[in-house]
Amino acid sequence: MTGRLQFLIAVVTLIALIYVANKVRKRVIELKYALVWFLVTFLLFIMDLFPDTLGDMARFLGISLPINMLILFGFGFVLLILYTFTIVITNQDRRIKRLIQEVSILNYRIDELENALRKEDIKVKKIKTRTADEGPEHKVKVEKQEKFKLLEEE
Amino acid sequence: MKALVIIPAYNEAGNIIKTVEDIKKNAPSFDYVIINDCSKDDTMRLCERMKYNVVNMPLNSGIGAAVQCGYLYAKRYGYDYAVQVDGDGQHEACFLEEMLHIMEKEKMNMLIGSRFIENLGFQSSYLRRIGIKWFSFLIKCYTGETITDPTSGMRMAGRDIINFFAEEYPKDYPEPETAIALLKLGYTVKEIPVQMKKREEGKSSISFKRSIYYMFKVTIACCMAGVGYKKYEKEDFEDKYFKGAL
Repeated sequence: MTGRLQFLIAVVTLIALIYVANKVRKRVIELKYALVWFLVTFLLFIMDLFPDTLGDMARFLGISLPINMLILFGFGFVLLILYTFTIVITNQDRRIKRLIQEVSILNYRIDELENALRKEDIKVKKIKTRTADEGPEHKVKVEKQEKFKLLEEE
Repeated sequence: MKALVIIPAYNEAGNIIKTVEDIKKNAPSFDYVIINDCSKDDTMRLCERMKYNVVNMPLNSGIGAAVQCGYLYAKRYGYDYAVQVDGDGQHEACFLEEMLHIMEKEKMNMLIGSRFIENLGFQSSYLRRIGIKWFSFLIKCYTGETITDPTSGMRMAGRDIINFFAEEYPKDYPEPETAIALLKLGYTVKEIPVQMKKREEGKSSISFKRSIYYMFKVTIACCMAGVGYKKYEKEDFEDKYFKGAL
């Protein structure tokens, strides 16, 4: 591994580390999910600092170039990051599903409540809910109708 | 004693009225709820015009999530029995009363309506029957029980299972997998013969391309369920979810 390459890798990993840290500071990335990035870039940086150890490891495993050792590690780290994100996605998926279900049941109960109140002659202001499930075509239709109304009023 | 029919519906405008009227007429001791999984066609407006009992999901989230929503509804409103009937008019409501009667008499946790005990009515295509045989075989391997129609959507669940399904239900194609999970957890699952019809309108959710995915996914899911649940976990599970939640 040439000094030039070593320098390049060190600079790139450091920039990546600072970049991610800055994003965390600005709250673009949640710290919890940035930790794995910190770990990976930091480890790559450390390895890059000791090319001799890397070379020994490469020779031990029968890899002819030390840089390939670094790439192998990098690949492993990428898999690690992907793995953590798979867990995160699964978790979110589950929670979103439950939220959708809760929202739909709540919607149902609100409708029920409103109907009951209306029967008792208690006035409730009817809010047009369910815009989300009526799709873009419906919205266009509603907009047209509203325009029409405005024209009529004029 | 309260019993609920869960009707998951996605783009079933052509079938939904027939299905609901069938239930109202032939299964009078059941309440019903339609879970409209954000249909793109007229299903929602149709249900509202007919004043049907409908829960509208705000985002399309798949058949599994819709059915689970139905079980959640059953749990919240304190139903003792819940049965799933597909919104496409394949299942005939006249069998529901019989199923409920047997459920009540023979205290069991789940009752499946099977097409392949008396082999009457619509028998599905040859390829599908091979798939169904395969899942029966898997269930036999993992649990030692015989379920002749593991893909049947017509399944009646008692209270414990309603609570279980409200917490844990696969996203798609849940039937064979949950059968194994329930048997592994030590619940009793039985079958009775029913007849089904060929669907009249709309498309089955399992097209040819999908069926390859289906076979893989469900086979792996069955294997996971086969090793993933142990009898002693039932109490843990009940502690974790039901006692805390209710």
